[in-house]
Amino acid sequence: MPQVPGERAEFIDGLRAFVPMSMSILPFGLVCGAAASNAGLTGGQALAMSWVIFAGSAQIASTQLFAGGAPLLVILATATIINLRFLMYGASLSRHFGGLSRRWQAAIAYLLTDQAFALTIVRRSTSPQQPHLHWFYLGLGGATWVCWQLATIAGILLGSLVPPSWSLDFIVPLTFIAMLVPLLSGRAMLLAAGTGGSAAVLLALPLQLNLIVAALLGVAAGVAAEKLGSGR
Amino acid sequence: MIIAIGLITFLLRFAPLALLARLQLAGWLQQALRFVPAAVMAAIIAPPLFFAVGAPNIVPDPPRIAAAAVAALIAWRTRSTLATVVLGMLALWALQALLD
Repeated sequence: MPQVPGERAEFIDGLRAFVPMSMSILPFGLVCGAAASNAGLTGGQALAMSWVIFAGSAQIASTQLFAGGAPLLVILATATIINLRFLMYGASLSRHFGGLSRRWQAAIAYLLTDQAFALTIVRRSTSPQQPHLHWFYLGLGGATWVCWQLATIAGILLGSLVPPSWSLDFIVPLTFIAMLVPLLSGRAMLLAAGTGGSAAVLLALPLQLNLIVAALLGVAAGVAAEKLGSGR
Repeated sequence: MIIAIGLITFLLRFAPLALLARLQLAGWLQQALRFVPAAVMAAIIAPPLFFAVGAPNIVPDPPRIAAAAVAALIAWRTRSTLATVVLGMLALWALQALLD
C-alpha cells in the first residue's frame, strides 16, 4: 500500500474512478462466469479463466469457440487477435510507465483492460504533471480485478439458475456496443467496424475462423480507407 | 487452453510496456492497430444478431437487431455503458413481447 500522501491520494482517486466503471464490469463478469460454466467448464476452470486471462472479450470468445468444438489453435489465434489491442494500449502507456521497475510494469500489464487504459489516459490529460499516475492506475486496476473475480464467481453460481428465455446473453453484445460506438469517429473507423461486422456474419468459414478473418478484413478496410482518403 | 491464452494475453500486455521505452513500433503497424478494437468488437457484436445458437444458416433475429440499433443510438447519445445495457435489455424484452 502507498505510504507517501501524494501516492495514497492518487490510489484513492483510482478507486473512485472505478465506481462508475463497475456498472460495465459487473454484468460483463457475470455473463463471462455464466457462459463458462454453461459451456461445460468446471467452476474452478471458469474462475481460472478470470484470473489467468483477465480479459472479458477473449474469455467470452474462447468460451464460445470451446463450446462449439473449435480446434485449440483456432481458439488461441482468436484470443490473440482480440487481445492485439493491448499492444496498442501498452505502446501508448509506455510513454508514461516506461521508466518504472519491471515489477511495476508486470503488475500494470497484468491489470491492463480497455477501461483502465481509457481512464488513465483521461487522467493524464487532465493532470499532466502528476508524478504518481501509476498509483492511480493501481487503484483503478486493482478494484477492477477484485470486481471481475467476484462477478465471475456470482456468474458461475447463478448462471445455471437464470432461464435462457430472459436472453441475458444479450448483455455481452450490449457492453460491446457501448464500447464500440464512442470509437466510431471518421469514415475509416466506420468502414473498419462495418466490414468486420458484416464479414463475421457473411463468411461461412470452417473451424470457426470467422472472427479472425473478419477482424483482419475490418482492419484492412480501415487502413485502405485511410490511405485512399489521405491520397486525395 | 486457459494457461496458453493467459500467457499470450500477458505477453501482449507486457511486451510494449517493457520494450517500447527503447523500441518504436513501425508506423504502418501502429496505424493498423488503431483499427483492431473497432473491427474486433463489430465482429463479436454482429453474429449473434443473425444466427440462432448453433444454427448453420443466417436467420435474422428481428428483436435482437432492433434492440441492438436502439442500444447503439443510446450509446451514441449518452456514452454510458449502464444506460446502454439497461435500456438495451428493456428494448429487447419489449420487442420480443411485441414480435415473437
